[in-house]
Amino acid sequence: MNSFLRKNLVLIGTLVVIAALFAAAAQGMDKQDFVITLLRGLAVGSITFLVASGFSLIFGLLDVLNLAHGTLFMIGAYIGWTVFVRPDTFVDILTPLALILSGFALADVYPALTTRTRLGSSMKRILPWMLIVVSLLLFGYILPKYPIAIWDVGTYAQSPVTFAFMTSQGTRLPVAPIAFSEISSALAWVGLLLASVLAALGLSLFGNDVGQTRSVNWKNFIVFAVLLLIAISGSIFNDPFTNFLLGLSSNWLFVFSVLIAVLSGAGLGALMESALIRPLYSRPIYQLMLTLGLSAIGIEMVRAIWGRPEFVMPKPVFFNGTGDGCPATSFADWWTHNCSTILLWDGRVRVYNEIFIPLVGLFVLISIWLLLQRTRLGMVIRAGVQDREMVEALGINVRRVFTMVFALGVGLAALGGVLAAPSSGLSNVMGESLFLNALIALAIGGLTNYPGAALGSVLVGLIQQFIIKYGQIGIAIPFTDMVFKPSPPLVPASTVLLMVIILLILPNGLLGKKE
Amino acid sequence: MENILDVQDIHTFIAQYHILQGVNVRVPKGSITALLGRNGAGKTTTLKSIIGLLTPRQGRVVFDGQEVQGMRPYDIAAMGIGFVPEHRAIFRDLTVEENLKLAERTKGDYLRKKEFIFDLFPDLKRLIALPGTSLSGGQQQMLAIARALVAENKLLLIDEPSEGLAPVLIEHMMKAIRELSKDSTVILVEQNFLVASQLAQYYVIIEEGRSVQQGSMKDLVNDKPAIHRYLGAA
Repeated sequence: MNSFLRKNLVLIGTLVVIAALFAAAAQGMDKQDFVITLLRGLAVGSITFLVASGFSLIFGLLDVLNLAHGTLFMIGAYIGWTVFVRPDTFVDILTPLALILSGFALADVYPALTTRTRLGSSMKRILPWMLIVVSLLLFGYILPKYPIAIWDVGTYAQSPVTFAFMTSQGTRLPVAPIAFSEISSALAWVGLLLASVLAALGLSLFGNDVGQTRSVNWKNFIVFAVLLLIAISGSIFNDPFTNFLLGLSSNWLFVFSVLIAVLSGAGLGALMESALIRPLYSRPIYQLMLTLGLSAIGIEMVRAIWGRPEFVMPKPVFFNGTGDGCPATSFADWWTHNCSTILLWDGRVRVYNEIFIPLVGLFVLISIWLLLQRTRLGMVIRAGVQDREMVEALGINVRRVFTMVFALGVGLAALGGVLAAPSSGLSNVMGESLFLNALIALAIGGLTNYPGAALGSVLVGLIQQFIIKYGQIGIAIPFTDMVFKPSPPLVPASTVLLMVIILLILPNGLLGKKE
Repeated sequence: MENILDVQDIHTFIAQYHILQGVNVRVPKGSITALLGRNGAGKTTTLKSIIGLLTPRQGRVVFDGQEVQGMRPYDIAAMGIGFVPEHRAIFRDLTVEENLKLAERTKGDYLRKKEFIFDLFPDLKRLIALPGTSLSGGQQQMLAIARALVAENKLLLIDEPSEGLAPVLIEHMMKAIRELSKDSTVILVEQNFLVASQLAQYYVIIEEGRSVQQGSMKDLVNDKPAIHRYLGAA
């Protein structure tokens, strides 16, 4: 115990100072203000944590600084919103998306086929490009004609803002059904499948893996078959499935949206790692440029599809009750009325924003911790963070683990996005400021330390919320009549200041280990 | 005798440096073969080229009848090669037991081999729940070798097992290596010629990235000029 104290003296000292600061902060405000600010800080901290932990897992194991992480957080929010507000669009997209992905699911099969054919050297160089151009032409011809019921960013009455508003009022705008008119459905489906296979085949020809002998077995075709099944059932059961989703209570629809957002985030992450990042492991600078570029592309795509105006994802009714019996006075009372707010220590606390989000954050914190400590995958991750080469030398397929961890990290960011959508709303820039917060949180907590990510995120969230609160009520300066009100620009500045101070005392962050 | 490993004229680069410039190593099945040579001669690079952590630009590495050069390390290792690197590379954040479990290639490897490993290294049994950080150098070396024994390996690559160990521990280590070589072939990189000569039946001398001499250890022990020339006074 004594040696533990001595080893962690600086850390404990820092934590005591921070705790004292919060205790001092509590003196200047009412109890209800303090509780609300504390909860808000925890909520902001939770969302920050979801982004920061994914980023830190990816950086720790893969050494990839994923600068697109904030953008992926934002994309998660927009995908969740789409499923929640426009389930019909989601169902319409299923079939073409599954078809586009199906060709890539066979990625392991192509090398086995192509190594058996002998090609001239010039043909070898041209063929991949030809395949990709043909597939792009096919995509370009078919996709614009593919009927997908979607909003119209240009007209206000059909814009996402209106749809979001109407859904929050409990009514949905009627959507005109769209059917194949310009091209036949069979042509579109076969064309997409063909284009996808050609694109994947072309991409596989670029890599010249020496001595790679892959055997093809039935397992390679499982994902392909599943995707085809999704595509077929998506088109046959389009209407029943849409009606089923629309008929769901908003609670279940919300759960479903969160699930889809997380899964698409994970899928996007896996795709990004296997297709774009993997060829660049030996060139870290290129990786950095790539993720930076992807981030910009992501933001522009979101602007093109969902438009620039901000809108809010409606809350599920579970957290949105008003009227009789609201605000709830206790949790039992809240359980019967599902009020949007609850009275705690005389303060009105918003249940979704300030109680639900921190709880989810806590849940994720514990689940990922269990994953890291109790499973074989977690063991591989912890070992790989320290020494990737040795893990490989033990015969463990690290590449597969890389893809999984990237998927997990992006999935967590997407979860953060979709959870933040009902509380702080959706905007094109929601990712950037949060990503900056997450980076600061990681610097404070220790860059590749999982508990450190949580601690840093919570600290950042708390500091910001307390500064905001004091901006409203002011700090009385002792022995004078003056009141100091921190101005809004001090909010981001304060976290950076905290980071600088902590890094000066503990260069590896609060919980980071010395390299 | 049948060779389990046949390294044929490999050339390996690290960044732009041409480190291995033609190394040949033949390892008879069931033997202990020592790679000898001065510091920086390319012994560790040879081991890394075998397991695939470095990829030879030229030449062939034939393990168990199959060419493995250019394959990913985990695929090569999974064919049955255990690697005990220089400086042990114990995973600090994992307990001793987790370090061993991580080396499983099929489920249950650890449980099957547990007894054999703890007979070989009784110390590890009582350290089982401790994190890798708290082990001494000798204990780390034992764990590193034990880790290579968890999976069914036909070939063990052991880099500098005696480095930094007290004489009494070296004795123990040698006994263990002799014991485990009953089940698998061993390639040993060893600076300490005394240790190498007592353990190995065969040797390969590497000098400035080239294998310059190989044969039976018995012959080398009597070949004082070669020992002096390639290994310094031993």
